[in-house]
Amino acid sequence: MKPDAATQPGGQSLSRRVYRLTQRHRHWFFIGPALLILLAVVIYPIVFSTGVSLFRVTFASTSRPFVGLQNFERMLDNDDFLQSTFNTLYYVVFSVSGSFMLGFGAALLIRRISRGRDILRLILIIPITMAPIVVGLMWNWMLDPLFGLINWFLGLLGIPGQTLLAQASTARLMVVLVDIWQWYPLVFLIIEAGMATLPRAPYESARLEGVSSWMIFRRITLPMLRPVILVALLLRTVDAFRTFDIVRVMTDGGPALTTETLSLYLYRTAFTFNKLSRAAAGSILMLLVIGLISAMMFRFLYKDIEVG
Amino acid sequence: MKVVLKDLVKDFKSADTVAVNRINLQIDRGELAVLLGPSGCGKTTTLRMIAGLEQPDSGRIYIAERDITDLAPKDRRVAMVFQNFSMYPTMNVYDNIAFPLHAIKMDRKEIDRTVREVARLVNIDQLLERSVRQVSGGEAQRVALARAMVRRPEVFLMDEPLSNLDAKLRVQLRTEIKRLHQDTGTTFIFVTHDQEEAMTLGDKIIVMNRGDIQQVGTPHEVFFTPRNAFVANFVGTPSMNMLPGSLRVEESGRIFVGLPGFELELPRRFEAGLRRMSSHHVIWGIRPEAIRLVSAPGGNCVPGVVELVEALGSRDLMFVRVHDQLFGVIVDALDSVAAGQACLLHFDGAHMHLFDAESELSLLLDEKAKGA
Amino acid sequence: MVVPVRERVLSYAILIAMAVLVLIPVVAGSLTAFKPQIIWISSPPVWFFEPTLENFEFVLITRQNWLHLRNSLIISIGSVVIALILGVPAAYGFARFRFRGSKGLMQWLISLRMIPPIVVGLPFYAMFLFLERATGLGLRDTHFGLILTYQTFLLPLVIWMMRGYFVELPAAMEESAMVEGYTRIGALWRVVLPVVWPGIVATALLNFIFAWNEFFLALILAGNNTSTLPMAAGTYIVRARVEWGNLFAVNLIIMMPVIVLTIFLRQQLVKGLTFGILE
Repeated sequence: MKPDAATQPGGQSLSRRVYRLTQRHRHWFFIGPALLILLAVVIYPIVFSTGVSLFRVTFASTSRPFVGLQNFERMLDNDDFLQSTFNTLYYVVFSVSGSFMLGFGAALLIRRISRGRDILRLILIIPITMAPIVVGLMWNWMLDPLFGLINWFLGLLGIPGQTLLAQASTARLMVVLVDIWQWYPLVFLIIEAGMATLPRAPYESARLEGVSSWMIFRRITLPMLRPVILVALLLRTVDAFRTFDIVRVMTDGGPALTTETLSLYLYRTAFTFNKLSRAAAGSILMLLVIGLISAMMFRFLYKDIEVG
Repeated sequence: MKVVLKDLVKDFKSADTVAVNRINLQIDRGELAVLLGPSGCGKTTTLRMIAGLEQPDSGRIYIAERDITDLAPKDRRVAMVFQNFSMYPTMNVYDNIAFPLHAIKMDRKEIDRTVREVARLVNIDQLLERSVRQVSGGEAQRVALARAMVRRPEVFLMDEPLSNLDAKLRVQLRTEIKRLHQDTGTTFIFVTHDQEEAMTLGDKIIVMNRGDIQQVGTPHEVFFTPRNAFVANFVGTPSMNMLPGSLRVEESGRIFVGLPGFELELPRRFEAGLRRMSSHHVIWGIRPEAIRLVSAPGGNCVPGVVELVEALGSRDLMFVRVHDQLFGVIVDALDSVAAGQACLLHFDGAHMHLFDAESELSLLLDEKAKGA
Repeated sequence: MVVPVRERVLSYAILIAMAVLVLIPVVAGSLTAFKPQIIWISSPPVWFFEPTLENFEFVLITRQNWLHLRNSLIISIGSVVIALILGVPAAYGFARFRFRGSKGLMQWLISLRMIPPIVVGLPFYAMFLFLERATGLGLRDTHFGLILTYQTFLLPLVIWMMRGYFVELPAAMEESAMVEGYTRIGALWRVVLPVVWPGIVATALLNFIFAWNEFFLALILAGNNTSTLPMAAGTYIVRARVEWGNLFAVNLIIMMPVIVLTIFLRQQLVKGLTFGILE
């Protein structure tokens, strides 16, 4: 065997040191580029926003005086901000609970059938694959007071034509219903995937022991699905909190701001009223609230499962 | 080729691997060495450091006097067979075996000749066109063996290659690995947690626990002269009967070991080492094979009651209760005593083991052996 | 599972009712895309008619929505390609190497799923604007600007989905190749990539859907040169007279590729939508 120079015992040639170094830091080689881009497109904007929120900046102005937390104070004093916050919470509560019940119910039911299960599942998840903007536009047409299918149907029942999206009393509910229509498949898919992974043994032994279906559901299914349920609720809450597309095309916040969401309000503050700093302050507030909600739900979640 | 590990350390903090504490080891050219130990003992980490798949935190590794510590796996001229991976799923058997040869840019004719030759050696020349879905677990592991052999490595590394196979196949492949080792004359390093596998395969057994080497020796040495209580307990099935006890040295020079409920006399050959150790706390042990059934009482005989009998084939494993202690005893099936019956056990002094209660080191080996 | 007949019938009844509620607006709306203009707004709706493609022709050619289609394709495909190039290696890194902070980094990646688009979109608009004023470097209203911005939601998703595929493969696969004479990169290229290829395709297609459907960031950051199909769809409702047939023609162009992809991607859909939190 011929001894080659680079491999003599104790030799600390450059190539060996380089090899050692690359071995020790090999993970950065794979992760580094993606991490740099993420820093640029996520962290930098947030830092930028935080910075802007402390000054008075508009898109046009050239002077940018430092104003401290004034933007935050103004934001919190603003009636429109409070109104849109209230609306957003309304969306969160009703859209999340509505889509959760529908999706959970559908997931439970679809396990009880066999024939046609695949095709039914495929149909039931259509809404989530559609662009939210398309969903909004489609329901605009459905709810049109003159030629919409809904009003035509109501007419058949003898109910006169309604302007459901133009009335303050019904617009918010309509938007929530459409949001539920679009997003219940998310809950459905998550719960169904979760149920598919449940072990069979507890069910078989419970059934042998003569436990009733309701008790099986309460005592076996629900506890085992807990982490899955939390994930579904977390994602739905976060999504409902930032609702924009559907509202934008259905009501654009109207009538009289009854459907205005936080995202919509901040968008308008920045791009219609040209108050960049105030919108930045609002978006930072929104980020904090969402962060808080997810952190709380994650704490619940981590009690159950180990992520990663 | 000769493999030498010098002061090898793998810190558990640096990665999610099992730690290895400054081990030194020499495996001679052409030897079949087995790293044996329970899971988490560091045997796989050691093997992976030799392969270059883990970087040691300090220490050096030499193969045939060549320092390979900072070489990439591909440059170490070793081959490895894994426990939970045997075939590249996107290639058929032929391409699997040819795969390592493509790395060294061998020409096609030469590749073809080598692949067929190696395939014949491990009896898979009929399967060359098969895909991964068409081969069984045992056949897939033969493919892995072939792929390892095809580049004529200087050292074969095997990480529990047989653990995922069923019992019969495991024994069969074990024999073939032994034959391969004899035919090629290459150094093999084999990792296993199965002490029976280690005993039947190894020229040299390295028993490891908690990142330390416990004993290095031939299968006979680790079985008959375990260096410490861990090795005594780990090697051999059913495992050694072990009890805490204390020594009593009489004026006459006779030495007894006091065990819970009874006392046994140690043979005279132990006298020299133990004379000054009266009332010393020890761990006493004896293998199930070294306990005999006798009909007449005598020295080192103790009565007991049979609790349970397990058939092992030509022999039976009896569990006998003696003063609240349960002893495993292996007897010829024809001599077996039924459960519930009384019997008389004779403990052969020549096969007793004594370990220091604190250090757990053997008290019966001479100083030279202890240092091994 | 044995289900009593009555329970099964009830399950069918409810599920079919839900399916009908899903299908009515989708089917009725899509039909409108094929109706001649005179019956767009007829009420009661006309169900039987001679289908026509003139609405598609009108929106794509007369209204030049083919430009939006082109923009949507460039931006969606471009951002998915970039996300894959950056994300697949990162996913491998997270799947194979444990290092200080690796767990925290992965949790941070999940948390990116929660960020409201306004938090990113707003500063991006301002940054692009200020950048252009200061240096003349225009990212505003360029395909690249949008492709870059889309990485905020595509890149974490690619990393999380692909990590799942890599974790399922035994590390011994590439380690074996490394001992047999290949570098890690060579082993990945020749051994691992051919195995995870279907996973990469699924990830790419799912990410394509997300990019394709995206509206908010495009609304803020796209201009005349980069306006996407969802934005084009939006224009049909703010016109003085709502052009239902044209609107649904655009809607259908947006929906069709997604529905086709969904049929192939049912299994991966959950993974993508939950962002791999369910592991």
